[in-house]
Amino acid sequence: MKSFFLLLGVSLTFFSVAQNRTITGKIINDANEPLGFAKIAVKSPKGNALSAVDGTFSLVLKDTASANVTISVYGYQPQEMSIGSGPQELTIVMKPTVSEKNEVTVIGYGEAKNKTLTGATSKVDGEDIEKMNMSRMDQALQGQMAGVNISTNSGSPGGSANIRIRGLGTFGDNDPLILVDGIVYDSQGLNALNPSDIKSITVLKDAMAGIYGVRAANGVVLIETKNGAINRKPTIEYNGYFGLQQTSKKLDLLRADEYAVIKNEMFAMGGQAMPFNNVNVGEGTDWQDQVFTRSPVQSHNISLNGGTLATRYSIGLGYFNQDGIVGGAKSHFDRYNARLNFSTDLSDKLKLNSVLLFSSEGRNTLPENGIGSVLYNAINAFPTEPVISPMGNYSYMEEVSDIINPVAQIMNTYNWNKAQKFVGKEEFVFKPLSFLTFTNRFNYNVALVDSKVFSPLVWYGEGKYANTALNAQLESPTVELATGVEIDRGAAVYEERNTYADLSYEGFVNYDQVFAKDHQVKATAGVTIFQREGNSLNGVAYGIPNNDVNYADISANSTQGGFLNNTGSWEFTERLVSAFLRAEYAFKEKYVVSAVVRRDGSSKFGPNSRFGTFPSFSAGWLISEESFFKFKPIDLCKLRVSYGISGNDQIPNFAYRALLNGEGVYVFDDVITQGVAIGRPANPDLKWETTRQLNIGLDLSFWKKLSFSTNYFIKNTYDLLFQPDVSALMGSYGPGGYPPVINAGNVSNKGWEIELGYRSDRTKKFLYEANWNFTAVNNQVTEVPSGVDYLPGAAFSVGGDVATRFQKGYEIGYFFGYQTAGVFQTQDEIDNAQVVQEGAKPGDLIFVDQNGDGVISFTDDSDKTNLGSAIPDFIMGFNVSSSYKGFDLSANFFASIGNEIIRNYERQQPYANQLSYTIDRWVGPGSSFDVPRQTTEPTRNNVFSSFYVEDGSFLRLRNLQLGYSFSKDWLRKIKMEQLRVYLAANNLFTLTKYMGYDPDLGSSSALSAGVDYGMYPQAKTLMVGLQFKF
Amino acid sequence: MKKHLLIIGALVIGLFSCKKFLTVDPPYTQDAENYFKTPEDYERALVGAYDLLQTSFMSLWIGEIASDNAIAGGESANDSQGLHQIDAMTHGGINNDLRSVFRWNYVGISRANYILENKDNIDFPEKAHILAEAKFLRAYYYFELVKFFGDVPLVIDKRLGIEEVRTIDRSPKAEVYAQIEKDLKEAYPVLNAVAVQKGRATRGAALALLGKAYVYQNKWSEAAQTFDEVINSGSYSLHPSYAELFDVAHENNAETVFDIQYTGLEGGSYGCLVCLEGNAAPGFQGIRQYNGPVYGDGNSYNLPTQDLYDFFPAGDPRRGVTILDIEAFIAAQPNPGAITYAIGAGGHTGYYNNKYIKRQGEIGLPDNDLTSPVNYRVIRYADVLLMAAEANYHLGNTAIAQTYVNQIRSRVSIPGASVNSLDKIYNERRFELSGEGHRFFDLVRTGKAALEIPGFIPGKHEVFPIPQVEIDLAGGRWPQNPGY
Repeated sequence: MKSFFLLLGVSLTFFSVAQNRTITGKIINDANEPLGFAKIAVKSPKGNALSAVDGTFSLVLKDTASANVTISVYGYQPQEMSIGSGPQELTIVMKPTVSEKNEVTVIGYGEAKNKTLTGATSKVDGEDIEKMNMSRMDQALQGQMAGVNISTNSGSPGGSANIRIRGLGTFGDNDPLILVDGIVYDSQGLNALNPSDIKSITVLKDAMAGIYGVRAANGVVLIETKNGAINRKPTIEYNGYFGLQQTSKKLDLLRADEYAVIKNEMFAMGGQAMPFNNVNVGEGTDWQDQVFTRSPVQSHNISLNGGTLATRYSIGLGYFNQDGIVGGAKSHFDRYNARLNFSTDLSDKLKLNSVLLFSSEGRNTLPENGIGSVLYNAINAFPTEPVISPMGNYSYMEEVSDIINPVAQIMNTYNWNKAQKFVGKEEFVFKPLSFLTFTNRFNYNVALVDSKVFSPLVWYGEGKYANTALNAQLESPTVELATGVEIDRGAAVYEERNTYADLSYEGFVNYDQVFAKDHQVKATAGVTIFQREGNSLNGVAYGIPNNDVNYADISANSTQGGFLNNTGSWEFTERLVSAFLRAEYAFKEKYVVSAVVRRDGSSKFGPNSRFGTFPSFSAGWLISEESFFKFKPIDLCKLRVSYGISGNDQIPNFAYRALLNGEGVYVFDDVITQGVAIGRPANPDLKWETTRQLNIGLDLSFWKKLSFSTNYFIKNTYDLLFQPDVSALMGSYGPGGYPPVINAGNVSNKGWEIELGYRSDRTKKFLYEANWNFTAVNNQVTEVPSGVDYLPGAAFSVGGDVATRFQKGYEIGYFFGYQTAGVFQTQDEIDNAQVVQEGAKPGDLIFVDQNGDGVISFTDDSDKTNLGSAIPDFIMGFNVSSSYKGFDLSANFFASIGNEIIRNYERQQPYANQLSYTIDRWVGPGSSFDVPRQTTEPTRNNVFSSFYVEDGSFLRLRNLQLGYSFSKDWLRKIKMEQLRVYLAANNLFTLTKYMGYDPDLGSSSALSAGVDYGMYPQAKTLMVGLQFKF
Repeated sequence: MKKHLLIIGALVIGLFSCKKFLTVDPPYTQDAENYFKTPEDYERALVGAYDLLQTSFMSLWIGEIASDNAIAGGESANDSQGLHQIDAMTHGGINNDLRSVFRWNYVGISRANYILENKDNIDFPEKAHILAEAKFLRAYYYFELVKFFGDVPLVIDKRLGIEEVRTIDRSPKAEVYAQIEKDLKEAYPVLNAVAVQKGRATRGAALALLGKAYVYQNKWSEAAQTFDEVINSGSYSLHPSYAELFDVAHENNAETVFDIQYTGLEGGSYGCLVCLEGNAAPGFQGIRQYNGPVYGDGNSYNLPTQDLYDFFPAGDPRRGVTILDIEAFIAAQPNPGAITYAIGAGGHTGYYNNKYIKRQGEIGLPDNDLTSPVNYRVIRYADVLLMAAEANYHLGNTAIAQTYVNQIRSRVSIPGASVNSLDKIYNERRFELSGEGHRFFDLVRTGKAALEIPGFIPGKHEVFPIPQVEIDLAGGRWPQNPGY
């Protein structure tokens, strides 16, 4: 390999013929190490040379006059020197660059100097992401940035998280626009992205995102992948870890004997026979121990980075493999990544940037986060039942039809999900003049997503909803094809292939020129064309032979004639065409103004609203540059303001079109005649959701060490999609008709963000760095259309009331139910109460009479009230790292304060197991003032009330890492640049009062956030890691 | 560099003319925007436009209940508040039943408009007839609206967007009638004289409806001419037996000019009255908790008044066909003691609408209160004759009027009456057409409503109020009808 690069270096050396003289030399660093791949550039006469791996170079110059040369090499300060006449033998010593954080921020179709940046952005370096040792970039982002809230949908391997920038703007799609090297990357597909491939993540939070117009309302996440550098020797890096995971929490459930006592009491109080004659049944089965397991996780990444005179490259290979803490290999994720970033100068003025990201991932999942999930079953399964009954079958627990044996459930769950993804671009950058750059790029993002589900014939016990067999002998249900023709249904397999392909072209020109020293003018203008196609083909086949997973393929089906087999498909196309313009002007880097306008046309919108224009404006004032500003400790003081309009185009495809799903039936000749009618009328005016955002920010820097940045924002989203009552003239109230989708309804988010960072002096031995961020967002629904009181969200319990709502004056998805005020102690108390609560008995929950009419109404909503929401009052991140000599220690904390969670994993059935708080139940006057009596008789204690709402605030140590790097002197001997070993832990501890598994409980739907069905918790992981570089 | 500028320049220009690129049809999906590609598409959309005719049971009820012919009845005054308010002439802008009339007829209009909007997509021989039927239907629905509400927004040949809805004003009654006339005049020459299928709009139906529209505008000579065409066509005659007229068995006879077709073969639910394929009127108008012969049990709505009963001369056989005197009926049965029924708290007169009532042998599938197969006779030849008589009387052709009235009377074997006043014709209309939903509108157009209907305020109650919510949903720009 090395000789290859040597050859490459030599061949690229510039040779000339006439009147030559040869200059040779060696380039070394201050430690006397040779530096290869250094560029030796002669201005006049023009000539370049590249040093060989041993640092030597040879440069042939045309004439003998003295020459000015510039020597540059990656990682060192460029050096200029003059070479005298005549042949020379030189030794050049390079000084390393003082490592500084990147001073430039990407802002979409260009970049801006941090100093003159006028928008609200946050940035994280790739190493801070990689260090978290998490499988997904979004998980690693939690607590890293102000204004960016990450919530976890599931802790299962490959489980997703939600990125929410500055609150929830809609009950629809709140995902930000994610761009990887400028390529649109679906947030649902983030599993494919290897966090180790990331160089930096920049989040555009305010009107700055306006350059992305109709897709910018939820914020924009710009991800850059690692690239090489010119004049850099090839460097191979390895980073890997192996870890063991276990659940971060087990619920405190009743033991068998506690369970027996309480169930006896429940049945007795309900006037029924007590189920347990003997309550001395010991501990019984701990179902959580049966489903939780310790499981491994490992990650290996290897990369090759380097560059020559005209070419830069970075190549990465990655492997990740994780088994779940529930069900082990049945809950699994693995991923292979390959990455190529390649740039080359095709000529002096034309450069090619090429990126190719390939990933292949596999995932197996168990039913989770819902009624019927493995954990839901484990929580509610009877501790008095063994896993396997004396009869040899998995115990049935037949008393509750919708709780099945979770161990059997894991055994019988078979699914395979695979995704292959190719993402990349070919980008041509043409720079004819120093102030003018043309960029043309062609992006692609292709994903093949396959899934297969095998549903064997299973029997969980009499009457269980999940049974697919007729009985314990696993006899198959039959299907009647025609009178008298019956065939067995058998085991089934479902297969699906979805293909998505994005193709886009972007062309833009950047202009950047300084006039009369003080006037900097920058401009960007461009166009983009984007097309996404998706299609799916799926099929289901029955009669899989022998009920055996080894035949789980459609091809193996054995139903007669394939009569039961079925297929389906869908297809869509969406297109977006845009033009944008950005102009910036800076005077003496003191006053900066910037204006953006983008025009978007999208196939998603109705013909009357197909095009939208999105302007935004921002300005900055660097007060510290003013001559009157003489306060020395502050080296930067900048005031920023921005205002802009952006859109959210993540609305359903074709929602503007009328559908022929109405009912048009009439009777001709006494025969019912089927016709056709419009069901949902068209809304040719349908358009994007619009967000208007004002941001005021202040950046301060003290002694170049302590940085402080704060933002206040008001973000109002308008024109949310609704189907409210519409005028009769629309014709939507016929048979099978329903109203069109229209734009109405507003949401407001107002908030504060603070980012505080400190970095110790880089030259000291003891280095430390700390940053803290804080975000408080006040979310409120400010308008719902007339004819709509609220939008219903998630239901409580099985078939219970709607517990969350989207309603004017409240937070999105706030909890709506009865407020409790303790427990009735005596009949006297009930009889003498000011408020009549029908059916109440001593030991029942006391509800608060919200409307003051003296009666608790259970037939309408008049006594229900706001019981909180999943939206935190504020979130905080605290990240600290330090190093001393070879040791380094870092910790990342995240806190979410003031969010509530609905405890919705308790099956309200007499036999279902319960949390141990029921031990402190009411059993007689004075015995309990908060936990109601336990009884099988009907009570109102299980309607949705504040009894089921818990404080979900938490503080979590997300990552703790202790590393040791071997000394460079020693490494040099074995030709290594870096060698580091480390111990790390994820989710080592969580401080919370929440009783459930994991208070970091997200949902992709804004209306069901904070409803806990027994969430798959995030694992606590202990890891050992190794990093080396040579 | 120039090349680049050119490319980008071209793209920028191209961008603002790229509507075509952005017009994406959902692949392999037939939805409303890419429909009307085959003759069958037109035919099926037409069926959808016919569907709303079946909601006319509400017009029938209100036409009777609002008049002196009937009371609302039912389980209680709260059960169908809207109808009770109309009965008492206390109705206002908030009335679910009036809102249903408003909504349903606009559904019919929008479905007819949907066809006419796409009339030029393809050509095929049957298209002219389909378009003519669509025009007939649109005229029918607009006639219902103008009858109920007076000035109504006129939407023609297009579907409205949500924004557009807020820009449309109520069109003066005259303009609505002009559109009705236009549609019918365009339709009737094309329509078949004899329906290919029972239930299809015919030339006679279009002409009769046109004549009726003229009558409602007091355009007597146009009305007389139009009815002449119907009468002279020879297609129609009075059915010999008045008693059989409202049987399922004798439906679509020579007297049928236009019937709305119903079937009992599809169930239904109270949750979606607009979805019914059966006639809701007979069940609703049936005898409450009735247990006995001949009839089925119903909901005791739309009960004829004593006033109507007494209006008939004792010898007019049409009284018994029009009104069921329940006690008299029971008393005449072999075992009267075994027959039971209940009186609804919504009102009781002792009489039931005997033309549209649930009868054994005419009971549809569950829920059979809603699924009667009995057609609604919208325009009978008898009605045509009486309207023709009225028009001719206005024109001074009393002899012709006399002939027509006598035809009506001789069919039920009662002596001819001397038609020496309009009232004679009006009375004959009440004898002949009571219980069929015409009475209130006849009283209004003849200026008799204030005399006959207690609580009727002239200048106000001639039209019903526009549902307030519809005014609001249309942007609040429509004035409410006077007095409401």
